Amino acid sequence: MSVVKVSDVWWRYEGRREYALKGVSVEVEKGEFLAIMGSSGAGKTTLVLTMNGTVPQRIPGEFRGRVEVLGMNTAEHDVTELARRVAIVFEDPEIQFVMSTVEDEVVLALEPLGLSREEMRERLEWSLSLVGLSREFLDRPPLQLSGGEKQRVAIATALARQPEVLILDEPTSDLDPLGKEEVIAAIRRVRDELDITVILVEHESEYVADFADRVIVLSEGRVVMEGEPAQIFRRMDKLKKLGVYPPDVAELSTKLNLGVTTCRLEEALRLVSKLVKGVRTRALRGKGHKPGEVLLECSNVKHIYPDGVVALRGVSLRIHAGELVALVGPNGSGKTTLAKIISGLLRPTEGEVRLLGKPIEEYDRLHLSALIGYVYQNPDHQIFNQSVYDEVAFGLRLRGLPEEEVEKRVRRALRIFGLEGLEEEHPFFLSKGEKRRLALASVYVLDPKILVVDEPTTGQDMRFSETLMQLLKKLSEEGRAVIVITHAVPLASRYVDRMIVLREGRIIGDGGPREILTSPIASEGRLVMPQILRLYRKLGLDPSLAPLTVDEFLSVVEIAL
Amino acid sequence: MPTILGELAGVEATSPEYMRLHVLSKLALPLSISISILFVKDPASALSLVLIAGLACKAAGIPLSSIKKYLAVIVSMSSFIVLSFALFTRMPGKVLYEATLYKFKAEKGVFEWTIEVTDTSLTYASVFILRIFAMVLSAILLLGTVTDRDLIWGLRSLKLPFGACVAASLFFRGIQFFVADFNTIREAMMARGVDFAKISLARKFLLYINALIPLLSLMITRSYEVSLALEARGIAPSSRALSSYHRYGLSHSDYIVLVLSLSLSLAYILWWWLL
Repeated sequence: MSVVKVSDVWWRYEGRREYALKGVSVEVEKGEFLAIMGSSGAGKTTLVLTMNGTVPQRIPGEFRGRVEVLGMNTAEHDVTELARRVAIVFEDPEIQFVMSTVEDEVVLALEPLGLSREEMRERLEWSLSLVGLSREFLDRPPLQLSGGEKQRVAIATALARQPEVLILDEPTSDLDPLGKEEVIAAIRRVRDELDITVILVEHESEYVADFADRVIVLSEGRVVMEGEPAQIFRRMDKLKKLGVYPPDVAELSTKLNLGVTTCRLEEALRLVSKLVKGVRTRALRGKGHKPGEVLLECSNVKHIYPDGVVALRGVSLRIHAGELVALVGPNGSGKTTLAKIISGLLRPTEGEVRLLGKPIEEYDRLHLSALIGYVYQNPDHQIFNQSVYDEVAFGLRLRGLPEEEVEKRVRRALRIFGLEGLEEEHPFFLSKGEKRRLALASVYVLDPKILVVDEPTTGQDMRFSETLMQLLKKLSEEGRAVIVITHAVPLASRYVDRMIVLREGRIIGDGGPREILTSPIASEGRLVMPQILRLYRKLGLDPSLAPLTVDEFLSVVEIAL
Repeated sequence: MPTILGELAGVEATSPEYMRLHVLSKLALPLSISISILFVKDPASALSLVLIAGLACKAAGIPLSSIKKYLAVIVSMSSFIVLSFALFTRMPGKVLYEATLYKFKAEKGVFEWTIEVTDTSLTYASVFILRIFAMVLSAILLLGTVTDRDLIWGLRSLKLPFGACVAASLFFRGIQFFVADFNTIREAMMARGVDFAKISLARKFLLYINALIPLLSLMITRSYEVSLALEARGIAPSSRALSSYHRYGLSHSDYIVLVLSLSLSLAYILWWWLL
């Protein structure tokens, strides 16, 4: 029996020329776990918003077609009425919180249902325990929780209403690996313990392969692929063109022509272990990185915030010209504090930072910002001019450069970051990806020797993330040092020369990505290893060889076919 | 849970007994002090009110050292009041000091600007200063003991519409977001080379105007997303709470505080009446 029936839906946002959905038809069966995948802008969120009536009831635009959820036409039944049976959890947990304690947050949506106080209490405790949160969380302010805890509160809030359909719109994309693990565990419990229909929008194919009964892939507003995860992930080339990257083990089974496509690690282990003959005794080549001159040096840097939080407990490191460095580690490990101290935006409580051999505090702000650029995670925090051109020119004009020189450098930066033709556009109206590139361009234009980029790939699809990492690699190859704060370890490991792992304000590891990911530091720093490396380790093969990609795996492992 | 002053300035009430009071009691006491301020007109009543406000703060466990933060404002306002009474008013009473600042002969007579400090003007100035002091203390008492959750519960217990209570809660969330965003944007400007300590006031003003663009953009995006998320949870402006999870009962201590608060205001009205 279909609980969701989307029939030939067309939707165009007001003021847009292109349709966001172009004749989409999808059916979801009762109790099914459906995953929706696709690149950013493919129409995934728009599609799920049609299922709770937000589109077309609350967002202006042009709607054609019909969406029925649990027998209700979502264009005719009010959103608040549909909300009694259809719950949705959004990507950003913070926008979902209104109240000042977890307890008030969960009961907020129960009070309009007319439940007794006892029943509300029961549902509150049941939903929190289902997502793995204890009673101790009741009095805690939701905004002060960790990312994973916040998202679990959002899921508990949705589940407390006991919906028949639960929609999860990229619930893990803003989270660190620990937060992701927590949310994934919560989703697993929901799937195993409740008889509920779940629709999950997700970029990470590994999670999709773990949970989904069926996958649909959207591209430019159309459903272009549909089927079971194994069927979908078999079509690797087509998927990658659509901005969806299959799990490493699916890619491996396809490349090995195993006859079946496996998407789960345990299945792959069972299949591949029978075929492994051994390893070729040649070590994988490193990236051939030769560090350049020392640009920056931190000696025993400590930092304590005014509220007493100790963020850094004695960090010493050197940053060289021409290297791409990933600063990794769990939330609260001190990554952002260290990056801000390196950029001169924070002063260390103790210790010294020397830039080009001189103490950083001896530079004035103008000079310092020309040597070290800091790109914020949310570009909206960094863009404050009236046009794309003025935004990029801001730093140059601040330094009083002649207008011809400003124009020359701005045009170059716009070309490098693919923003040509948008000079007169107001930054407010740019897409998310364009805003991010604009933020980078406005810092790059100052020609800094060190570029610090805070979580550039968070919430982005794989295709965009790959492009961005390639761009950062190119910038480091120009001779500057690029420091990327990131949780996307599998992606970063393919590009960076060096990984610095922080935990509880200390550096617990500093070395090449292969070296870090094969040492105990990886688990100590809660780093997510590439799936192919996890498979390799589970096979118990020579630990000195550590393939980070499927091609590397195939080059070192001898397989009998 | 941090109080409003706790979030803004890190000053928190430490008395668990006071913090356990119902929000109506926590609102009633500072409100009563504020009302009483309107009725003090002699130094004795003003001083007694300052002492009562100070004692209330002490009872709530608010460190009185927190007043230091507002000392500059209190001193400058006090100086302004004293100067106003000395330079621009002539009050009857015993003249303590007199001086002519400016004098000239005009067609219609002689114009003089004379300073005349009388005992009455000084008394008035001192009453004003003490009133300001009492106001500061009552504001500290209110903001240092009330959390935003208290205020929402207070609104709910007053049977205000559910939508209005949610809107009030959203307002508090909005302030937190606004302050955090503003600080990040300011820092981002510094990262591009702006030195706020060195630039002119006019340039600073222009940059803050520029900062309104991302702030506005973030505010619009967030408001839009928050409203969608709320509706997706079945909460609309017209929503009604058909049942209530929290109980809003008053304890004996609450009744005592409420009676004391009412008596305080009545006492000062009576004092004013008798003077």
